[in-house]
Amino acid sequence: MQTPQFEFMRDFLLQQSGLVVEESKMYLLRTRLQPLLKEHSIATLNELADRLKKDRNSRLARQVVDAMTTNETLFFRDQYPFDALRDVMLPQCASSPVRIWSAASSTGQEAYSIAMIAAEALGGKGKRVEIAGTDISDQALTKAAGGTYTQMEVQRGMPARLLIKYFEQDGSNWRLKPEIRNMVRFGPANLVSPTLSSEMRGKGPFDIVFCRNVLIYFNVGARLQVIDNLAACMKDSGYLVTGAAEIPKGNKSRWEAVHFGNRNLWRLVAR
Amino acid sequence: MAEKMMVVDDARVVRVSLGKIMQSLGFEVIACEDGQQAMQAILENPDVRLIMLDWHMPVMNGYDFLVRLREMPEHSSSPLVVMVTTEASMPSMMKALSAGADEYIMKPFDASLIKSKLDLLGVAYKE
Ligand SMILES: C[S@@+](CC[C@H](N)C(=O)[O-])C[C@H]1O[C@@H](n2cnc3c(N)ncnc32)[C@H](O)[C@@H]1O
Repeated sequence: MQTPQFEFMRDFLLQQSGLVVEESKMYLLRTRLQPLLKEHSIATLNELADRLKKDRNSRLARQVVDAMTTNETLFFRDQYPFDALRDVMLPQCASSPVRIWSAASSTGQEAYSIAMIAAEALGGKGKRVEIAGTDISDQALTKAAGGTYTQMEVQRGMPARLLIKYFEQDGSNWRLKPEIRNMVRFGPANLVSPTLSSEMRGKGPFDIVFCRNVLIYFNVGARLQVIDNLAACMKDSGYLVTGAAEIPKGNKSRWEAVHFGNRNLWRLVAR
Repeated sequence: MAEKMMVVDDARVVRVSLGKIMQSLGFEVIACEDGQQAMQAILENPDVRLIMLDWHMPVMNGYDFLVRLREMPEHSSSPLVVMVTTEASMPSMMKALSAGADEYIMKPFDASLIKSKLDLLGVAYKE
């Protein structure tokens, strides 16, 4: 790939999704975009760059972003955010419905884990919980909305008790029951979009936001912008859960650290 | 001192592969080929912390072993029992859990799945 085209691709990905691709990771462009080149009968990455220059908002452009993002996720990933949800965050939320946002929901496991915890904690207490799951990847959103997972996917991190309680078997796959699926609405949203808060207006403001394992792919500037965007979608004193070390330092004055074991949750204390 | 655990499976490949994973996680592994051997082993090693138990085995199957184990007053809740089986239906899972299994793994498994189940059970292991 020629340098100007690489620079174009790098800037394109940064602007469209916040994603940082270092020059040393050029091979990643090649391996991840190969299937797309085939699908669209595009011969080289240079040609792909030229096509994107002409139309940055085409289906092809979305597919490129899709292919370059990492969708890996798990039910109850890292466990502690879900313990904290049950023990600290949900009990503190007085409103009904409690509004929760899985802000890079990928294929849905995080949003559904939240839903199962909420159903366990609040079942029968009359308090309602509404969960929004958003992602930049159309493919991930389609899978998320289907709520169907393989045997491998439903086992790691998932207590067998919850699998029995909240899933139905569908051939060799496992599908979440309607009572859990109906707690979650999935839709597209780009975290770095300057209009994010108006796009999310109908679903928020949120009491609790999970934004995990996505900021690590962004540079500091994009991280700060995303965190501002999230704050604009949250209630005062709302909780933010990020991955370890994902919240950049310079931004901590408006966020108060709430210790949970040896981890931190963040609370919005100033606008 | 390493904690003791049992791998109960009639297939040698499983005893070896699962045994290796558990050893690498710091456990002392006792391997048994069926429920009857497992019954003998638990009598000799009442301090076993965890049993990984196959379902379908000759002589005494895993489910029957589980029921008998939990009937023994000193074993009504310990050791922890994880079913590790090709039996992948919801009803079997329910049956095992209500008989006193603590977790359930549908084969195939890998080390990360095993570790995630140990995490859920609060069983510490060597990284
Ligand atoms: C590794 S997954 C994390 C999923 C889940 N939050 C977790 O912690 O397991 C990262 C997700 O972020 C999404 N993503 C990347 N850039 C994004 C952006 N600018 N806006 C919204 N989502 C984005 C990707 O499509 C991917 O699904």
